[in-house]
Amino acid sequence: MTGPVLRVAALSKRFGGTQALRDVDLEVAHGEIHALIGPNGSGKSTLIKILAGFHHAEPGAVAELDGEPFDLGHVTGSRHDRLRFVHQELGLVGELSAIDNLALSHGFARTAFGNIRWPEMERRTTALVERFGLGIDVRRPLATATPVQRAVVAIAAALQGWDGGRGVLVLDEPTAVLPPGEVARLFDIVREVRDAGASVLYVSHRMDEIFALADRVTVIRGGRRIATRRVAELTPRSLAELMAGEETETDHRPAPSAGPADPVLEVRGLWAGPLRGVDLDLARGERLGITGLVGSGHEIVPYVVCGAHAGPVSGRLRLPERSERWTEARDAGALGLPLVPADRAVEGVIGDFSVGENLTLPLLHRLRARAGRLHRRRESALAQDWIRRVGVRTAGPGARITTLSGGNQQKVVMARCLAQRPPVLALCEPTAGVDVATRLQLYDLIERQADEGMGVIVCSSDTQDLLALCTRVLVVRDGRIAREISGRDITEPALVHAMEGTE
Amino acid sequence: MTSTPTRAAELPPSAPQRSAVFVPGALGRRAVTALSFRNIGAVYVWLVIVVLFSVWAPDTFPTIITVKQVLNGNAVAGLVALSVVPPLAARVFDLSVAYTMSLTSVLTARFLVSAGLGPGAAITLAMTAALLIGVVNGIVVVVLRVDSFIATLATGALIQSLITMVTNDSSITGVQLLAKPFAGIAQLDAGGITLPVLYLLIAALAIWFLLEHTATGRRLYATGFNADAARLQGVRTDRLRFLTLVASALLSGFAGIVFASSVGSGSPTAGTPYLLSAYAAAFVGATQLRAGRFNAWGTVLAVLLLGTGITGLGLATSAQWAASLFTGSVLIVALVLTGGRIALPAVLRRRKGIPSNAGAEAPTESGTPPATSKEI
Repeated sequence: MTGPVLRVAALSKRFGGTQALRDVDLEVAHGEIHALIGPNGSGKSTLIKILAGFHHAEPGAVAELDGEPFDLGHVTGSRHDRLRFVHQELGLVGELSAIDNLALSHGFARTAFGNIRWPEMERRTTALVERFGLGIDVRRPLATATPVQRAVVAIAAALQGWDGGRGVLVLDEPTAVLPPGEVARLFDIVREVRDAGASVLYVSHRMDEIFALADRVTVIRGGRRIATRRVAELTPRSLAELMAGEETETDHRPAPSAGPADPVLEVRGLWAGPLRGVDLDLARGERLGITGLVGSGHEIVPYVVCGAHAGPVSGRLRLPERSERWTEARDAGALGLPLVPADRAVEGVIGDFSVGENLTLPLLHRLRARAGRLHRRRESALAQDWIRRVGVRTAGPGARITTLSGGNQQKVVMARCLAQRPPVLALCEPTAGVDVATRLQLYDLIERQADEGMGVIVCSSDTQDLLALCTRVLVVRDGRIAREISGRDITEPALVHAMEGTE
Repeated sequence: MTSTPTRAAELPPSAPQRSAVFVPGALGRRAVTALSFRNIGAVYVWLVIVVLFSVWAPDTFPTIITVKQVLNGNAVAGLVALSVVPPLAARVFDLSVAYTMSLTSVLTARFLVSAGLGPGAAITLAMTAALLIGVVNGIVVVVLRVDSFIATLATGALIQSLITMVTNDSSITGVQLLAKPFAGIAQLDAGGITLPVLYLLIAALAIWFLLEHTATGRRLYATGFNADAARLQGVRTDRLRFLTLVASALLSGFAGIVFASSVGSGSPTAGTPYLLSAYAAAFVGATQLRAGRFNAWGTVLAVLLLGTGITGLGLATSAQWAASLFTGSVLIVALVLTGGRIALPAVLRRRKGIPSNAGAEAPTESGTPPATSKEI
């Protein structure tokens, strides 16, 4: 047919020392669902954020909508109208109704007196959402709607005012927040959008979705475009190979653990959130990886083991070195295993506290002097000792934790767990938001702990962590352990295949 | 370098034992920062006020009588202000303190005057009532999970109805209230300084010790700053928040008894004027000494600052509206001058964050690990 609706060429983006995107080309044809796929950290989100105008591109990039060039990194009127976005978090206000949410981006219909014409608003909103079915009550707060209904409202909000002509709807991992059963309904809606004449750029890291939905797919990895193919020409195997790349030799290869397995943690029949019956054994000195796609449930495992999961849980666990008795999973908190949580800013550090106060918070009971007094000198010595041991770069224990870099904050969080001398250390996304040099220091630190006999659980969606650290990896898919990979078999392709279920 | 003020701000002036861990050369610099406007701005403002009124009302203001008046007249206000400090440290608002104070004042008066009980029994019963209020507040806020701001307004209304039941909205007076053992609680003095000033000192010492020098205090601050993170570190945030509500009820209840003794009657509206000034003092106090943290001595300092200003205005002019104007202005100026590094925004930040957190607190449940949002 005619030229592409959206064309991006020679797009590069650098964040400090990290090259997030390098000369990426992308063409979305008229009336197609074009998937953009790549592993975590491949640069998908950066690309979308540049398109949406959140980041500036490096000079030299070309971007055209329907043949007309537009500026990347500036929200211009013409582009705003042709490029519509539904971001991962949907960007809705849960307390407000569908009517209100749509009006937030497009304004209210008002009378001459300035009061809102509710009947017209309701009609307008209903017209926009009802083509998708689902029976959404446009007057109820969205918090009471189902996830797929919310997704539909977000799509309707993005599409409102669309003149029906050539344009691109960008969906950024819309299924990440959907339960598995509702994904098919969302796909129907996406097809409906395409059939109405728009193009769709669909961002995902799930291969099954690409095959179910997309016409063409662009694979990016490590900030480069690897290939653009028609989906019909691909097999799951060949797409996975494009995503994962050639098997490469990594120098940071841990040796498989030798000798008799000496269990420090046993978990049986764990049910929580999406998890359906997970068993795991962790041996002394083992570095066990747990991974999976977003929503598979892998990220919950450390929380449950440490008794920090908010929802209902069942199953049992025990620490054989400490006691023969099994503990119910809901009482796991009593075992007192420390957790390095996934979101450092929200769950990890207390931003208004100093480095020392953050470090000693779980250790305060050890620092009692007479009359319940806190032994300040011992506290300071303890903090300084651990700052030195894990190599935190800071002005001292009195410095505010937020003056530290992400990696150094993570070292503080880690030190505070290690200071409790636990038999098991559970880490979630240990290197999220950490620069490369600090990342290697964290790897060394974790390895040292394991060598001293601690069992380490590394729960990560970053394959680099797993490749660099783990002696064994459990891959969780749909709440179950789908695959166990150990020793030299832990490779990027093996992990990707196991996560996607394309073995 | 940027950490220097923070480090110094961390140190209450009376914690010399920590100096041992710092490099000796830093001592002078720490002294400078400890005396900086940022750290103890209220002291300088207070000095300016003293000078100002000494010039404005040279005959009446710079006298020993004024000093006594400021101290004696603000001891009860100080007790109420201190009572809200531990809850605020744990980010709990107890707005019922004013009503609790009124209730204990009228209950003590009623028991003494109508029931004919001795002072000991009357005070014990009134304090039991305060304890019960604390427990009810704790149940509503911690167990039933109602936001403390609105929950304690609601329990305040309940307490008000109790007060009306006891008093029919008129003050309770009687010779028993003016007689020696009971009247002595607030009116005994040494050199013109009355006993309530001593109570204020003891309460401030106790709260200072709790917040600065015990593990519990550290955990209270952790709860207030980031309850989720604190809970993950084994801090029993719910229990702490419950206990702070009990503590604030007891201390404000005690303030009510002191008030009844000092004025010699049980007034149904005894506490009402103290609510705003208590929060004003606590928030101004949070900008002092330990910038960003609600603390005892900062609060006492703020009470004295506000008290001095109001006393001075009373002596210098006869304008009735001057006192409230002064309180409001000081609160705003103190909060603005200390910039963004203070407790008020931190507290409000968390409050505002609630809706967005509600969506984000599910990463463990809904299966959206935060890592994906950090993806580059």
